[in-house]
Amino acid sequence: MTFSESKEFSVHSSSLKEIRSFAREVLAKDDIFKSSCDDVVLALAEAAQNIVKHAYSGKETSDSLKVEISFDNNQLKIDLYDKGEPAIPSNIKPRNVNDIKPGGLGTFFIGQIMDEVVFKTAATDWVNHLILIKNY
Amino acid sequence: MTYKITEEGNIATVHLDGEIDMDVTEKAKEVIMPLIEGGKEVHLNLKEVQYMDSSGISVLIESHQKAAELGNRVVLKEISKSVLKVIMMAKLEQILIIE
Repeated sequence: MTFSESKEFSVHSSSLKEIRSFAREVLAKDDIFKSSCDDVVLALAEAAQNIVKHAYSGKETSDSLKVEISFDNNQLKIDLYDKGEPAIPSNIKPRNVNDIKPGGLGTFFIGQIMDEVVFKTAATDWVNHLILIKNY
Repeated sequence: MTYKITEEGNIATVHLDGEIDMDVTEKAKEVIMPLIEGGKEVHLNLKEVQYMDSSGISVLIESHQKAAELGNRVVLKEISKSVLKVIMMAKLEQILIIE
Protein backbone atom coordinates (compact mmCIF):
# COMPACT_ATOMS: atom_id res chain seq x y z
CA MET A 1 0.00 0.00 0.00
CA THR A 2 1.19 3.47 -0.82
CA PHE A 3 -0.47 6.79 -0.05
CA SER A 4 0.23 10.43 0.53
CA GLU A 5 -2.22 12.93 1.98
CA SER A 6 -1.73 16.48 3.09
CA LYS A 7 -3.75 19.23 4.70
CA GLU A 8 -3.14 22.73 5.98
CA PHE A 9 -4.29 23.97 9.38
CA SER A 10 -4.30 27.30 11.17
CA VAL A 11 -1.38 27.79 13.53
CA HIS A 12 -3.45 27.74 16.73
CA SER A 13 -3.90 25.38 19.66
CA SER A 14 -7.52 24.87 18.61
CA SER A 15 -6.23 23.18 15.42
CA LEU A 16 -4.62 20.34 17.37
CA LYS A 17 -7.86 18.41 17.60
CA GLU A 18 -8.39 18.74 13.82
CA ILE A 19 -4.83 17.60 13.18
CA ARG A 20 -5.40 14.51 15.33
CA SER A 21 -8.65 13.75 13.51
CA PHE A 22 -6.93 14.09 10.13
CA ALA A 23 -4.15 11.73 11.21
CA ARG A 24 -6.59 9.17 12.63
CA GLU A 25 -8.55 9.27 9.39
CA VAL A 26 -5.44 8.70 7.28
CA LEU A 27 -4.08 5.96 9.54
CA ALA A 28 -7.42 4.14 9.44
CA LYS A 29 -6.61 3.25 5.84
CA ASP A 30 -4.78 0.11 6.86
CA ASP A 31 -4.72 -2.27 9.81
CA ILE A 32 -0.93 -2.06 9.86
CA PHE A 33 -1.30 1.17 11.86
CA LYS A 34 -3.92 -0.18 14.26
CA SER A 35 -1.67 -0.86 17.25
CA SER A 36 0.47 2.26 16.84
CA CYS A 37 -2.18 4.74 15.71
CA ASP A 38 -2.60 6.46 19.10
CA ASP A 39 1.16 6.80 19.55
CA VAL A 40 1.73 8.23 16.07
CA VAL A 41 -1.15 10.67 16.53
CA LEU A 42 0.41 11.77 19.83
CA ALA A 43 3.83 12.29 18.20
CA LEU A 44 2.33 14.33 15.37
CA ALA A 45 0.22 16.40 17.77
CA GLU A 46 3.27 17.08 19.96
CA ALA A 47 5.21 18.26 16.91
CA ALA A 48 2.32 20.51 15.84
CA GLN A 49 2.05 21.82 19.41
CA ASN A 50 5.75 22.71 19.30
CA ILE A 51 5.10 24.80 16.19
CA VAL A 52 2.34 26.76 17.95
CA LYS A 53 4.29 27.06 21.20
CA HIS A 54 7.85 27.60 19.97
CA ALA A 55 7.98 28.53 16.27
CA TYR A 56 5.28 31.14 16.91
CA SER A 57 5.81 31.55 20.68
CA GLY A 58 2.06 31.21 21.14
CA LYS A 59 1.45 34.48 19.24
CA GLU A 60 -1.65 34.99 17.14
CA THR A 61 -0.99 34.52 13.41
CA SER A 62 -2.90 34.04 10.20
CA ASP A 63 -0.25 31.56 9.00
CA SER A 64 -0.96 27.94 8.28
CA LEU A 65 1.06 24.83 8.94
CA LYS A 66 1.02 21.87 6.62
CA VAL A 67 0.89 18.20 7.57
CA GLU A 68 1.69 15.55 4.99
CA ILE A 69 1.32 11.87 5.87
CA SER A 70 2.70 9.33 3.44
CA PHE A 71 3.36 5.62 3.44
CA ASP A 72 5.65 3.79 1.10
CA ASN A 73 7.88 0.75 1.37
CA ASN A 74 6.62 -0.01 4.89
CA GLN A 75 7.73 3.41 6.05
CA LEU A 76 5.35 6.02 7.48
CA LYS A 77 6.61 9.54 6.92
CA ILE A 78 5.03 12.65 8.42
CA ASP A 79 6.20 16.00 7.11
CA LEU A 80 5.32 19.17 9.01
CA TYR A 81 5.93 22.55 7.42
CA ASP A 82 5.61 25.94 9.06
CA LYS A 83 6.57 29.56 8.51
CA GLY A 84 7.48 30.42 12.10
CA GLU A 85 10.84 31.39 13.55
CA PRO A 86 13.57 29.16 12.13
CA ALA A 87 14.19 26.25 14.47
CA ILE A 88 17.71 25.64 15.74
CA PRO A 89 17.92 21.84 15.80
CA SER A 90 20.75 21.78 18.35
CA ASN A 91 18.46 23.63 20.80
CA ILE A 92 15.66 21.10 20.46
CA LYS A 93 16.40 18.41 22.98
CA PRO A 94 14.12 16.26 25.09
CA ARG A 95 14.46 17.09 28.75
CA ASN A 96 15.78 14.53 31.18
CA VAL A 97 12.67 12.51 31.96
CA ASN A 98 13.93 11.93 35.51
CA ASP A 99 13.80 15.66 36.14
CA ILE A 100 10.17 15.89 37.22
CA LYS A 101 8.76 19.24 36.19
CA PRO A 102 5.92 20.48 34.01
CA GLY A 103 6.81 21.01 30.35
CA GLY A 104 9.36 19.71 27.90
CA LEU A 105 7.95 16.22 27.48
CA GLY A 106 6.69 16.62 23.91
CA THR A 107 10.07 16.12 22.24
CA PHE A 108 10.73 13.17 24.55
CA PHE A 109 7.45 11.54 23.46
CA ILE A 110 8.24 12.10 19.78
CA GLY A 111 11.62 10.44 20.25
CA GLN A 112 10.05 7.49 22.07
CA ILE A 113 7.43 6.89 19.41
CA MET A 114 9.13 7.62 16.10
CA ASP A 115 12.18 5.87 14.65
CA GLU A 116 13.69 8.97 13.12
CA VAL A 117 13.24 12.73 13.55
CA VAL A 118 14.82 15.08 11.01
CA PHE A 119 14.84 18.89 11.05
CA LYS A 120 15.33 20.59 7.73
CA THR A 121 15.26 24.11 6.44
CA ALA A 122 12.28 24.05 4.15
CA ALA A 123 12.58 24.85 0.52
CA THR A 124 10.01 26.99 -1.31
CA ASP A 125 7.29 28.75 0.69
CA TRP A 126 7.96 27.33 4.16
CA VAL A 127 10.57 28.03 6.82
CA ASN A 128 10.78 24.88 8.92
CA HIS A 129 10.40 21.31 7.77
CA LEU A 130 10.21 18.52 10.35
CA ILE A 131 10.15 14.90 9.26
CA LEU A 132 8.94 12.10 11.52
CA ILE A 133 9.55 8.54 10.37
CA LYS A 134 8.25 5.23 11.64
CA ASN A 135 9.12 1.90 10.09
CA TYR A 136 6.64 -0.98 9.90
CA MET B 1 -13.00 18.96 27.70
CA THR B 2 -15.84 19.06 30.16
CA TYR B 3 -15.76 18.47 33.89
CA LYS B 4 -17.89 17.85 36.94
CA ILE B 5 -16.86 18.42 40.54
CA THR B 6 -18.24 16.54 43.50
CA GLU B 7 -17.21 17.22 47.08
CA GLU B 8 -17.35 15.00 50.11
CA GLY B 9 -15.73 16.24 53.29
CA ASN B 10 -12.25 17.44 52.43
CA ILE B 11 -12.10 15.52 49.16
CA ALA B 12 -13.00 17.20 45.89
CA THR B 13 -13.34 14.83 42.94
CA VAL B 14 -12.96 16.33 39.49
CA HIS B 15 -14.40 14.12 36.77
CA LEU B 16 -12.71 15.14 33.55
CA ASP B 17 -14.17 14.19 30.19
CA GLY B 18 -12.85 14.45 26.64
CA GLU B 19 -9.44 15.27 25.27
CA ILE B 20 -6.86 17.20 27.26
CA ASP B 21 -4.38 19.04 25.11
CA MET B 22 -2.67 22.43 24.97
CA ASP B 23 -5.95 24.07 24.01
CA VAL B 24 -7.65 23.22 27.31
CA THR B 25 -4.82 23.09 29.85
CA GLU B 26 -5.51 26.59 31.16
CA LYS B 27 -9.14 25.65 31.70
CA ALA B 28 -8.09 22.44 33.48
CA LYS B 29 -5.73 24.39 35.75
CA GLU B 30 -8.44 26.95 36.51
CA VAL B 31 -10.63 24.10 37.72
CA ILE B 32 -8.04 22.12 39.68
CA MET B 33 -5.68 24.68 41.22
CA PRO B 34 -8.23 26.62 43.34
CA LEU B 35 -9.35 23.34 44.91
CA ILE B 36 -5.76 22.48 45.83
CA GLU B 37 -5.09 26.02 47.08
CA GLY B 38 -8.31 25.79 49.11
CA GLY B 39 -6.81 22.90 51.05
CA LYS B 40 -8.80 20.11 49.42
CA GLU B 41 -7.44 16.67 48.67
CA VAL B 42 -8.17 16.52 44.96
CA HIS B 43 -9.11 13.31 43.18
CA LEU B 44 -8.91 13.46 39.39
CA ASN B 45 -11.15 10.87 37.79
CA LEU B 46 -9.71 10.22 34.33
CA LYS B 47 -12.05 7.42 33.24
CA GLU B 48 -13.60 9.50 30.46
CA VAL B 49 -10.42 11.16 29.22
CA GLN B 50 -9.71 9.61 25.82
CA TYR B 51 -6.60 11.60 25.00
CA MET B 52 -3.92 13.44 26.92
CA ASP B 53 -0.74 14.99 25.54
CA SER B 54 2.35 16.44 27.21
CA SER B 55 0.42 19.59 28.14
CA GLY B 56 -2.11 17.50 30.05
CA ILE B 57 0.71 15.60 31.73
CA SER B 58 2.16 18.97 32.77
CA VAL B 59 -1.13 19.81 34.50
CA LEU B 60 -0.93 16.53 36.43
CA ILE B 61 2.68 17.24 37.48
CA GLU B 62 1.92 20.84 38.43
CA SER B 63 -1.13 19.79 40.45
CA HIS B 64 0.81 17.03 42.19
CA GLN B 65 3.66 19.39 43.06
CA LYS B 66 1.38 22.20 44.26
CA ALA B 67 -0.54 19.82 46.53
CA ALA B 68 2.70 18.37 47.93
CA GLU B 69 3.97 21.88 48.61
CA LEU B 70 0.83 22.54 50.66
CA GLY B 71 1.11 19.21 52.48
CA ASN B 72 -1.76 17.68 50.57
CA ARG B 73 -2.16 15.30 47.65
CA VAL B 74 -3.73 14.84 44.23
CA VAL B 75 -4.90 11.32 43.53
CA LEU B 76 -5.49 9.99 40.02
CA LYS B 77 -8.48 7.66 39.83
CA GLU B 78 -9.83 5.27 37.20
CA ILE B 79 -7.25 6.30 34.61
CA SER B 80 -8.24 5.37 31.07
CA LYS B 81 -5.95 3.01 29.19
CA SER B 82 -4.79 5.66 26.74
CA VAL B 83 -3.93 8.17 29.48
CA LEU B 84 -2.13 5.53 31.57
CA LYS B 85 0.00 4.70 28.54
CA VAL B 86 1.12 8.36 28.28
CA ILE B 87 1.76 8.58 32.04
CA MET B 88 3.93 5.47 31.77
CA MET B 89 5.74 6.80 28.71
CA ALA B 90 6.62 9.85 30.83
CA LYS B 91 7.78 7.44 33.57
CA LEU B 92 5.47 9.11 36.08
CA GLU B 93 3.59 6.10 37.38
CA GLN B 94 5.86 5.96 40.44
CA ILE B 95 5.75 9.72 41.02
CA LEU B 96 2.07 10.62 40.69
CA ILE B 97 -0.38 9.11 43.18
CA ILE B 98 -2.49 6.53 41.38
CA GLU B 99 -5.25 4.62 43.13
